[in-house]
Amino acid sequence: MEDQFQNNEVNNFPDISSVTFTRIEKSYFKVALLSVFSYFLIIVPVLILFLEKVIRKKEPDFPFYLYILILLIIVVYMLNLILGFPKRQYVVRDKDLTYKSGFLTRKMVTVPFSRIQHVEIDEGMFSRLFKLATLSVYTAGDSSDDLEIKGLTKEKAIQIKEFISSKINE
Amino acid sequence: MSNEINFSEFSRQSLKGVLIISGKFLFQLLKGTWVVFLVFITKASKISSIDAIYFYVMIVLLLLFVVIRSYLVYRNFKFKIDGDYFVLKNGIIAKKNTAIAFDRIQNVNFSQNLIHQLINVYQVDLETAGSDKTEISIKALSLSDAKALRQKITSGRSIGNEEIVVEETEKEKPLLTIDVKSLLKVSISENHFQSLLLLIAFLFGFYQQVEDVFKNFIGEEILKNYLSKGKDILLGSFLLLIIVLILLSMVAVITSFIRVFLRHFNLSFSIKNEAFEIKQGLVNKKAIILKRDKVQHIKITTNPLKRMMGISYVVFKQAISGKVKKTDKQIKIVGCKEEHLDKIKTTLFSSFDFNDVLKEKPHWYFTYRITLRNFLFLTFFNTFHYFIFDGINQIYLNLLLIPILGLMIFKRVKKTFFKAADELILVGGGMIETSETYLELFKVQNVKMKQTIFQRRRKITDIILQTASGKIKIPSITMERANELYNHILYKVETSTKEWM
Repeated sequence: MEDQFQNNEVNNFPDISSVTFTRIEKSYFKVALLSVFSYFLIIVPVLILFLEKVIRKKEPDFPFYLYILILLIIVVYMLNLILGFPKRQYVVRDKDLTYKSGFLTRKMVTVPFSRIQHVEIDEGMFSRLFKLATLSVYTAGDSSDDLEIKGLTKEKAIQIKEFISSKINE
Repeated sequence: MSNEINFSEFSRQSLKGVLIISGKFLFQLLKGTWVVFLVFITKASKISSIDAIYFYVMIVLLLLFVVIRSYLVYRNFKFKIDGDYFVLKNGIIAKKNTAIAFDRIQNVNFSQNLIHQLINVYQVDLETAGSDKTEISIKALSLSDAKALRQKITSGRSIGNEEIVVEETEKEKPLLTIDVKSLLKVSISENHFQSLLLLIAFLFGFYQQVEDVFKNFIGEEILKNYLSKGKDILLGSFLLLIIVLILLSMVAVITSFIRVFLRHFNLSFSIKNEAFEIKQGLVNKKAIILKRDKVQHIKITTNPLKRMMGISYVVFKQAISGKVKKTDKQIKIVGCKEEHLDKIKTTLFSSFDFNDVLKEKPHWYFTYRITLRNFLFLTFFNTFHYFIFDGINQIYLNLLLIPILGLMIFKRVKKTFFKAADELILVGGGMIETSETYLELFKVQNVKMKQTIFQRRRKITDIILQTASGKIKIPSITMERANELYNHILYKVETSTKEWM
C-alpha cells in the first residue's frame, strides 16, 4: 500500500524548474536606479571627504588606489543590478509563491501558503511615483529572510495578497 | 483559599508566593547595592550612632516596602483557564490582561530554587515562541496544582469537567536517565574555555561594581596604584605568568564541573502523552515539559573527546522569535549514550528510517570553496602580520597555522553530508565538533536555492531550508539533485496536514 503511494508521488511532483515565471514591472528599474543614486548622493560625498581629509594627510598616495577600488565596486554593483534586473521573476502557483533574483548570486525562494503568517504591501517613496508596490511575505519564528517581491503594480500586489489570504483561510 | 485550585475561576497562586516574590525582589535589590552595605559594615565604627540609626530605620523601611509590594503583586496576580486559553490578570497599578492559547504554549517549566524547596512549592513558567522572555511565570504553586495545570495545558483540548488524574503520572519510568558517571564525562569534555570566559565576565562585573563605589569612597588614585603594581608584578615574572595560567585553567575545569553538576544533576528524560519532560538540577531543580509537535528539529553534537567517551548532546530546537542567542534557553540533554540517541530519535520521529538511504556528499567544489576561503584568510593574516609586526616569526606562525587550517578543511569536508529520506532529512556538519541535524520535511517554512556565479558554471547550488527554529544549509549539490529535493520538500510541506508549530 505504502509503496504504491510513493510511486504515484514521484510522478506527480510539480516541478519548479518547468514553470514559466513572470518578470516584475519594467518601470521598477527606474525606481531601483533612483534609490541607488539617492544612496550614492549621501555616501559618495562622505567617502570623498573621509579619503581627502583623513587618509590623504597620513598617506598622500593611498587614496588613489582606494578610489579605483571604490569605482570598481560601484561598477560591479551597477552591472549586477542591470544584468540582474531581468532575473527578477516570480510565480504564484496553487500552493506556493516563488521568487527568483540575482545575477552574480542567483537565488530562488519558495514559500508555501500554508506556512505564511501574514502578507504586507508597502509602497516606497520612489515606487509610488510609478504606481508600484512591494509585496512581503512573513513566516513564523526566526525567518530573517522571507520572501519580498519589489516592483509589482499595486493592483497585482493586492491581487496576490488577496489570493494568498483566501488560501491561508481555507 | 482551598487546597485545590479550580481553574475555571480566577484564582491566586499559593500564599507562600509572597515569600518567593519578596525573596526575588530582595535579591535583586541586594545585587545592585551590596557594595554599599559592605562599605557601611567596614566603616561602621567611624559612623556616628545617629547616622547608624537612620541607616537601620532605612533598612527596616525598605524591607517593609519589599514585603508590602510583594503582597500587592501576589494579590493582583490572578489566573484562570478559559476554554483553551490561559488567562492572566496582573499588575498593581497598571493592570495587564494576558490570554495565551494552549496550542501556542511551547513548553511548561517547573523549577524550584532553595526557597521553593524549603516551603515545598514550584515555580511554573509558560513559554511561547512570541518572545525571548518567559511569558507567564507563576512564582508559587503546590505540586498538585502545578501538575493539574500542566495536565490541562499539555493535554491540549479541555475535556469538559473531567477529573484530572494526578497519580497516574507519578510512577512513570523515565525513558532515559543520565547518571553521575556520564555527568563526570560531560564535565571533563565541556568547553572549559567558555567556562573561564563566563567566570571572568562574572568577576569583571563584580570588579566594576566595587570600582564604582570605591571611586566615590576611597578615591581612584589608590585603586589605580594598587592595580598597576599588580600588573607590573605579573608581567615582570614569566614564571608567575605561567603559574597564573595553570591556576586559571584549573579554575576553568573546576567551574565546568560545578556548572555541569549544578545544572544537569539527576537528568532524566521521559515521555508523557504527546509531551517530553526533562528534569534536572542539583540546587535549583527544573523540569521542562515540551510538546512533541513544537520541536522543530533536533541537533546532535559531539566532539572528539566526547566521542572517545561515547557521549553526545541532543538539542531540541523550537520556534524562536528574532534573535535568541541565549544558550540558557536551549533545551538540551547532555551526556547521551548511543542507545539513548536511538531512543530519542525513534520516539520523536514516527518514520525514522535511514537504513537504505544514500549518504550524499557535497560536490568537490565545496572543498575548493572552503580551501579558497581559508587561503584568503591566510593571505590576509600574513599581510596584516607583515605590516603590523614587521614579519617577526612569520614563517613559524605559518608552519603552525597551515597544518591546522588543512586539518580543519579536511575534517569539515569529511563531516559534511546529507541523507534525504522520504519524510526526514539528516544534515551532517561540523569541523572539530560533529553535528547531525534531523528535520522532518513538513516543518520547513521556506526553501531557498542559492547559486553563485562560480557555482553556476559547474551546475551546482546550495539549498537552504528555513524553519521556524533557524536555517539548515545543504551546500554545493548538483542542480539536478537540488531540483529534485526542492520539489520533494515543497510537495511534503504542501500536502502535509499536520500541525507544524
